[in-house]
Amino acid sequence: MSKTKRWIFWIVMLIALVFYPKVFGIYYTNVFIIFAIFALFAVSYNLLLGFTGLLSFGHAMFFGVGAYGTALALEHVEGMPLIASVLMGALAAIVLALILCPIVVRVSGTAFAMIHLAFGQLMYVLALKLRGITGGEDGIGGFPIPELNIFGIVSIDMADPLNFYYFAVTVLGLSVLFLWFFTKTPFGSIMISIRDNANRVDYLGFKVPQSKAIIYTVSGCFAGVAGSIYALFQNLIAADDGFHVMVSFAPIIMTMVGGIGSFFGPIMGAGIFGIIEELTSRYTERVELVMGLILILVILFVPMGFIGFINFVKQKFAKAAA
Amino acid sequence: MNILETKAICHDFSGLQVLMDVNLEVQEGERHAIIGPNGAGKTTLFNVITGTYQPSEGQVFFKSKEITGLPSHKLVRLGMGRSFQVTSTFTWLTAFQNIRMGILSRRGIRFNFFRFLDKMDDVTRETDAVLKRINLDGERDIPANMLSYGKSRSLEISMALATDPDLVMLDEPTSGMSVDETHNAVALIRRLTEGKTMVIIEHDMDVVFSLADRITVLHLGGILASGTPDEIRDNQAVKDAYLGEMEV
Repeated sequence: MSKTKRWIFWIVMLIALVFYPKVFGIYYTNVFIIFAIFALFAVSYNLLLGFTGLLSFGHAMFFGVGAYGTALALEHVEGMPLIASVLMGALAAIVLALILCPIVVRVSGTAFAMIHLAFGQLMYVLALKLRGITGGEDGIGGFPIPELNIFGIVSIDMADPLNFYYFAVTVLGLSVLFLWFFTKTPFGSIMISIRDNANRVDYLGFKVPQSKAIIYTVSGCFAGVAGSIYALFQNLIAADDGFHVMVSFAPIIMTMVGGIGSFFGPIMGAGIFGIIEELTSRYTERVELVMGLILILVILFVPMGFIGFINFVKQKFAKAAA
Repeated sequence: MNILETKAICHDFSGLQVLMDVNLEVQEGERHAIIGPNGAGKTTLFNVITGTYQPSEGQVFFKSKEITGLPSHKLVRLGMGRSFQVTSTFTWLTAFQNIRMGILSRRGIRFNFFRFLDKMDDVTRETDAVLKRINLDGERDIPANMLSYGKSRSLEISMALATDPDLVMLDEPTSGMSVDETHNAVALIRRLTEGKTMVIIEHDMDVVFSLADRITVLHLGGILASGTPDEIRDNQAVKDAYLGEMEV
């Protein structure tokens, strides 16, 4: 794609995002917000799995901590501004990542995956048991959602779903944009190199554990932002929505289905995931069963995911044309 | 002056004594070959020097500074580079991207999150210059795992040199190469290590005797002999243990 074409593509996308709620109505606007939340969650996860080669079974803990961080801040702090509450969620996720860093950066492969399963479940149990803080199974709900105040000039009411849509899409979109940029920096190339050959990265003079720690923290932080928006959107966060093991598996499935090797794959995956969930839930409660089947089919037949499949078809066409 | 020196290095793997009292001296600017039969401990010695293993006993000095047990990335920053016996490139990255990692390291661009890497024109230019010098400019955008064996070995060697080290440690750079490829690789090594100190492990005696200024023979974990190629060729102990009646 040439440069102009690419710009046109993004501008059209932007316009589509602006007019989406007017065209599709409130129900599908809310469906889209959930998609966007999980798209950011999956993209942040792909930083670990796709870019650094670290499989985690516990990424939900950052999502959950981000959600609880925002919910608790709004519940307990009088006059908490909206943006600050999102930052509190991100901060909570960063703190959790920094606590885990010293342990997790020195392991990889199966050990990394299993440690995260353990910590993820630990967080789940904590969220259930520490009733005084987290509200146990009921979670925290009904906390005040402040108006979005921009430099004290304009106040935008977040109770209006349309306003919330624009707010959520802006925050999530900017986050994805930031992560995209992150993968394009010199540090991003270290990330990919660690995936390919961590030993050689060390022998080229880069600090592998420290680099992994930064990637891990950035990934956790943006999972936290996704969780934070989720809590604001639902005005409720409970252990099952934030820390359940299925929440950890969602970004894995999205990344695998969308395409593990590409930045935009997980976004596609989140879209496909959302559509399938939407369609199957009309007929059955067993959404996980359908998702599981699809995951198996993807791994068997299109291991590089949706994006990989598209590239494959493109190459076929290019060959046929030549 | 000795750029690299090991003092009484011993190393064992849970009881198996692999290195015994190894005192290696490498002078600045020389091409030093380490030879010896399989299992003599050559690669282990490399791993001890380059920080993969902490030696059980003994010390390693680099530029008169003790470096025993320092992690590899610190040694690289002090000016040591290393290639591997088994090709160890970034398999899914292109030749260009592989070399670029070395260039980034040399320029100290490590924790940079603020610029587009592709827009760093000076880095791109320098990387392309290196690719041209190692005759890989035609394979610039081909992933490392799609390169021919000879080319991927060239890439392997060049990555060790891309950080512009003062001391280059090459672990069997020509292993598995055809005669032609070996010939090219030797020319490449000669060209790239001009003015640098090089330590090389090698099995191919033609390569050793054509490249090395000095040779150290390792046998059963200890140094059997050390000297100029002529001295080694005439050394009776070396003949008995390793070279045999080989025509060298």
